[in-house]
Amino acid sequence: MKHSTAARALRPAVALVAVCFLVLGLFLALPAHDAFALTTDRTTAKSNEDGGKSVIGGDPTRLSWEGTVGADETVSSITLEFPADCRLADDAYVKVQEIIMDDPARPVHDESIVYTEELTPESLTLEFANGLRANNKVIVQVYGFILPAVSGDYAIGVSYVDGTGASHDLGDSPAISAVAITTTQRIVNWLSEQEWVQAWNSVKFLNIFLNPLWIVASIPNLFFGWLRSIGLVLLGFPLAIPVGLGISFLRMSKLRVLRFISSIYVNVIRGTPLFLQIYIAWFGLPLLGIKPPDYALGFLVLAMNSSAYLAEIFRAGIQSIHKGQFEAASSLGMNGAQTMFFVIIPQTIRRVLPTMTSEFILLFKDTSLLAAVGVFEMMNFAKISVNVSGNMTPYVVAAGYYLLVTLPLIRAISVFERKLAASDGRETPSDSKKKGKGDDKDEGSGENTAPQTKRVGLFKTIAPLSAVDAQPSPGITPEQHDSQ
Amino acid sequence: MMSMSKKVIAVMAALVLALSMALVGCSSGTPSTDTGGATDTTADLKLLKEGVLTVGSDCDYPPFISLEGEKPVGFEYDLLEVIAADLGLTLEYLPPQSFDTLITAVQGGGKMDLAVSSLTINDERKESVNFCTPYFDSNQACVTLASSNYTKASDFEGKTVGAQSGTTGFDWAQENIPGATVKPYNQTSEGLAALQAGSIEALFFDAPIAEYQLQTNYPDMKMIEVIPTAEQYGFAVSKDNPALEKAVNDSLKKLIDDGTYAEIFKQYFPNLEPSIK
Repeated sequence: MKHSTAARALRPAVALVAVCFLVLGLFLALPAHDAFALTTDRTTAKSNEDGGKSVIGGDPTRLSWEGTVGADETVSSITLEFPADCRLADDAYVKVQEIIMDDPARPVHDESIVYTEELTPESLTLEFANGLRANNKVIVQVYGFILPAVSGDYAIGVSYVDGTGASHDLGDSPAISAVAITTTQRIVNWLSEQEWVQAWNSVKFLNIFLNPLWIVASIPNLFFGWLRSIGLVLLGFPLAIPVGLGISFLRMSKLRVLRFISSIYVNVIRGTPLFLQIYIAWFGLPLLGIKPPDYALGFLVLAMNSSAYLAEIFRAGIQSIHKGQFEAASSLGMNGAQTMFFVIIPQTIRRVLPTMTSEFILLFKDTSLLAAVGVFEMMNFAKISVNVSGNMTPYVVAAGYYLLVTLPLIRAISVFERKLAASDGRETPSDSKKKGKGDDKDEGSGENTAPQTKRVGLFKTIAPLSAVDAQPSPGITPEQHDSQ
Repeated sequence: MMSMSKKVIAVMAALVLALSMALVGCSSGTPSTDTGGATDTTADLKLLKEGVLTVGSDCDYPPFISLEGEKPVGFEYDLLEVIAADLGLTLEYLPPQSFDTLITAVQGGGKMDLAVSSLTINDERKESVNFCTPYFDSNQACVTLASSNYTKASDFEGKTVGAQSGTTGFDWAQENIPGATVKPYNQTSEGLAALQAGSIEALFFDAPIAEYQLQTNYPDMKMIEVIPTAEQYGFAVSKDNPALEKAVNDSLKKLIDDGTYAEIFKQYFPNLEPSIK
């Protein structure tokens, strides 16, 4: 057939073209693969943001370039071309490591490396007396290197001379992202030049615990951690209140089974450390295939823990209300639920408010336990800062942030207690002061602020009860309004 | 009835007392009784306690140093024991210290004379403390679950990974994996538990420890990359105590020269040749 002969005639031509492509391909592929005796593995800069992660331009950092010498090749010289406008700190220096990769599982230093260096703000040239050997890795680090103070991506140009004396240009290495200097960092830099700061920091204790540079750096850095800690407790605590109230009802239930179940819940949770509960939640639940996000699991565990304590606080509070109140309510024809919600609970809330507030304080402080499982809350931010700096000041700043929340609340507790005492007609400020320090989760804390015997208040409560329809919250009497 | 409850209280008090004594006992070690003769050479060492080398460690790095019951064991423990004996000192270990507080504790002084915990010698740490001469060559490892499909450290861009707080592994991950969230853990074993639980995708820590841990305790994990950082371990000492640094260095050199070092090394790493000479 005509068609077939044409195809046959074309076949050599196709083959020729294919061969051409193959040769061309090889020609293109081979040099790309073999031409360079040196390849760049990575270029990075160490974060120099105090307490942060970014690389800040205009401030000294540690530049790091890593490369590998090709097989059967040697390298006698490496030049790193820095981007324009880079600078060097006064104490800038270069560190070069040659790493023998013969056993990839156990790379070791080559102690025999001999090199000369020429470091300028524009470039670094390293001459290796014995040459870098084949397959070896080289790590070049420039300490005290300052990137331009304008945010942007900065690439390092790399060129080298191989064993035969031929120069090669590797082009730009992957860029390093730098950000412009932050206001905080500017203040820190300014402070570090002040004489009084230097004098202050020359005292070891002041330097390690109350370093002004780290106070300034930690305040904005820990702020976000602080918000997260507050967020955790603000989600956890409100969830714990209804759960705790429900459990306290179960605890007082007439049904033995309900009492039994709820007392197991309360006793197991109160009888084990929160730290342990966090560990179980973090390392145990995922093995069952339950993997909630960190923050969700965080506030759920906090809520669960707190609900058991709140249940006991509520139970003690409710049981401290005098029997007469129940009797009075039922004599007015109220049923059990009405009695509970309109008569008992409103009175209970007032009594348990101080204890609840101290439970809130405890829970807020306990958010720090979540740091152990890697949740990014304030303690974790502080810990990372401390590790970067080797300075303890971020912990002190964190303490300040915790106090910012807890001190006003501690104050609030004593106000609540004074009001409670006043409305109860018991003017004993010294008593209430003692209770204000009830910072420990002991069994009696609920009962302490909610005394078992109560006499006053029966008539006070009954008075508005006679006008249930008129007043939405009959539990609060006019007198109590005055005192609030 | 009254005397009964009193008895109960007395028994409980005795228990509490015994317990607290046991707790104190485990942190103080055995006091030295024989420091005679060595005092000449150790007099100029500024030690916290005369004739005693107080050591702080994280004790979570098998086969280097870990706890067996309450007693530390391992390569570093044995090495230090020989060094201390050579210096005529008694070793006393503090209870396990949090790794990220070791450098600061040595720098601040008053707590420990020397820190040992597979501590990598690097310039950042050298700003705070001095290091004795290196005694081990190490690298970083990237460890994942055996069931994962990751093949190299750079696969974790933008992912959540973990490392022990304050370690060179943490710093490496932070600097070299763009966009990754690096979760800090108090101990490497907690990081391993988190990896098992799936809270992190990979854990970065020292390769020799990873090798040991994966072989003995974590068969469900794999090391996907040895990152050639060529780190070296050294004992950390205070900058205010150059005499101790020199004494330990001299002793370490002697042990390397006379083969004692190699002997201890072979005990823990039978398949390796000591690379420190």
